[in-house]
Amino acid sequence: MDWHLLGLSFITVFLAELGDKSQLAAIALSGSNCKYPRAVFLGTVAALVLASLIGVLVGEGTAQVLPTRLAKAIAAMGFAILAIRLLWFNSESEALEPEPQKSPQSD
Amino acid sequence: MALTELSILELINLQKAETLVEEESSVLEGPTPDRPLPSVTPNSRWSFWGVFGSTFVTIFLAELGDKTQLATLLMSAESHAPWVVFTGAASALVATSLIGVLVGRWLHTRLSPKTLERATGTLLLVISALLLLDVIRL
Repeated sequence: MDWHLLGLSFITVFLAELGDKSQLAAIALSGSNCKYPRAVFLGTVAALVLASLIGVLVGEGTAQVLPTRLAKAIAAMGFAILAIRLLWFNSESEALEPEPQKSPQSD
Repeated sequence: MALTELSILELINLQKAETLVEEESSVLEGPTPDRPLPSVTPNSRWSFWGVFGSTFVTIFLAELGDKTQLATLLMSAESHAPWVVFTGAASALVATSLIGVLVGRWLHTRLSPKTLERATGTLLLVISALLLLDVIRL
């Protein structure tokens, strides 16, 4: 095992990903899906590991082999839909919820 | 590609159906005659996989051809030890996602639900805009 190369690749990718889109997405999704942080974590890890696995397997031809622009456009749409669901639908369901009755039985 | 497009749409539809079912069951106790009975009952396992799937698909598509992937493939091509590079990259990605999820959890404890919803919704819109910029620049 080449520990120097292992450390180098770890540090490079770690610094590249700090504050990047995918980490911001992990923050936003785990903040909003408060019930299932584990699902967000596993989904994020699986997606990132698979993406880098493809990077290793396919090599330099990734951009030629895969329609990355289309993929990014679809992802942008997906994130926009998730955002709209959060900003619109949740506030609507809040408005639909009956307000807690403030009728204290103290008499 | 059409396959992934289909699957993301399916996921979105599934989640919509799920929220509709939840809303319906909270408003009405039983099924109405004019609406078909939902074949899938909402349970926790279902929404767990819904969250997992939507996270996986959006982040995977966003990361295809991203700079991390480019760095990984450059390093693996130069070093001729692709699996060492992959192990390093994968563990770094696990670490950054773990930090992200922990920050999200921390924000969840600190902010009110409404503020958090607005903040996370806005953040997702920002990510969407960044991705669109990438699409234009590629």
